[in-house]
Amino acid sequence: MPALRELQAAFRRALLDGDDGGLAAFVSEDGMAAAERLAVYRNNVQWSLADMLRDTFPAVCRLVDERFFAFAAHEFIRMHPPERACLAEYGARFADFLAAFPPCRELAYLPDVARLEWLTHAAAYAADGEPLAPAALAGVAARDTPRLVLGLHASFGFLASPWPIDRIWRLNRPGADSDETVALASGGVHLEVSRRGPDVVFRALDAAVFAFRHALAAGASLETATEAALTVDAAFDLGGAIADLFGDAAVIAFTLAPETAP
Amino acid sequence: MIRRDHGDHDAAIPAAIGVGLRAPHIAEIIATRPAIGWLEVHAENYMGGGPALAQLDAIRRDYPLSLHGVGLSLGSAEGLDAEHLRRFKSLIGRTEPMLVSEHLSWSATGGTYLNDLLPLPYTEESLTIVARNVAIAQDALGRRFLIENPSSYLRFRHSTIPEPEFLAELARRTGCGLLCDVNNIHVACANLGGTPEDYLDALPTAAVGEIHLAGHSPVARGGGTLLIDDHGSPVAPAVWQLYRRALARFGLVPSLVEWDKALPSLAVLLGEARAAESMARARVDANACAA
Repeated sequence: MPALRELQAAFRRALLDGDDGGLAAFVSEDGMAAAERLAVYRNNVQWSLADMLRDTFPAVCRLVDERFFAFAAHEFIRMHPPERACLAEYGARFADFLAAFPPCRELAYLPDVARLEWLTHAAAYAADGEPLAPAALAGVAARDTPRLVLGLHASFGFLASPWPIDRIWRLNRPGADSDETVALASGGVHLEVSRRGPDVVFRALDAAVFAFRHALAAGASLETATEAALTVDAAFDLGGAIADLFGDAAVIAFTLAPETAP
Repeated sequence: MIRRDHGDHDAAIPAAIGVGLRAPHIAEIIATRPAIGWLEVHAENYMGGGPALAQLDAIRRDYPLSLHGVGLSLGSAEGLDAEHLRRFKSLIGRTEPMLVSEHLSWSATGGTYLNDLLPLPYTEESLTIVARNVAIAQDALGRRFLIENPSSYLRFRHSTIPEPEFLAELARRTGCGLLCDVNNIHVACANLGGTPEDYLDALPTAAVGEIHLAGHSPVARGGGTLLIDDHGSPVAPAVWQLYRRALARFGLVPSLVEWDKALPSLAVLLGEARAAESMARARVDANACAA
């Protein structure tokens, strides 16, 4: 008689790897083979996760067609099954998986389309946060301003791509019906995804503003984020960029980074 | 000693008919506020933020709510996910549900979450593990859980305890209540052998705090047939019969109609709820005549 922990590990192998060997002997057949009984659970797990991925990545599915998507999803589920119970959070690694998936090698833009779909999916579900007014920073001394770390609303996501993925997505989103084509060589984009009220929106940003906001979202101080933006464009307007952040209701918290030793 | 007092939230439960709240129906329910006793949601669908959570707040203003967990994995030998418990507790604090329920099953092993309600062997070891996990969850969340009997497609050879006895002992050890899913009883007995009426009669009457109703479908497999608990059709006549028996045995406990696959219009779902309500009402009337 197996210990429960071992039985559960064997069940995992049966569901994800199709290896019933460690489990079938413990299943009572009662007029039906153990493999047939286990297949019900395996199908439940595989089909529900594949459906979920199809719902999260509809443009990717349309770009590669349903059958190929099902094949890719099956491989992804086997290699990267969910780790937690909140399945709205499942699929974060799908874009990286596609980037490394040999059958997709020809579709260089596909992983970035998946990244955009993941950011829009995650933005819809991201934690709520109350935006701050600029006056919230009134108490910060001018000499401390470079150390400011602005916390952005959790729905903000950033994606730079060498491909025109915003246009590719629009032509392949659910319900899209257009014969228009996109020239892959027509240039890359710097995209920002966020939630406005109940709606998830994305838009292209100027490269320096993108560098600034992307750095802030990663937890950089105002000084470090400003340096990142100035590296892209020496004419970057910091005052305007900060005002726009508050105007977009993007800032929900702030802290001061530790002072560095002189 | 792991039995604890988790308050008397149950005292406020209206013994009425509820329906499982699914995303495509939410806007219509908020707009039309149909007469429904209460609504039940899967807790895991509301552990983020955004419009889904805002809609749940709006629903909660008009209806009593039940939180039905599908991801705690109370049967996991490796124990519970502390982060998941924390998020569940936060949702309870926000929604103040009238009922909190989970399943006699497991999903998590070795850092992997298998998104199905998987079967347990009914052994003393399993009973010890599930009782410990239920006690930990009840203590962490500060609420009494109702534990649902699973739909099953297989039985382990080394099981030694009949499922209703396992549930009864779990309730005795932890103070948890039971969620009696009459469709699951019908499905499990059809798939594994056993008589649904005997199963129902073996449950401890006082522990049952909720009843679930749903549809199932037969699927041909390996020369035989399995009933699949897919919540994709109206409640079957045999399950309505079992519901009548459950009402007679457990009294007027809150009852819920669930529908997931091939979700019909809200009107069809509410029609099922009305059918359940008239059965419950007939039972009240029969009792009144007998008194």
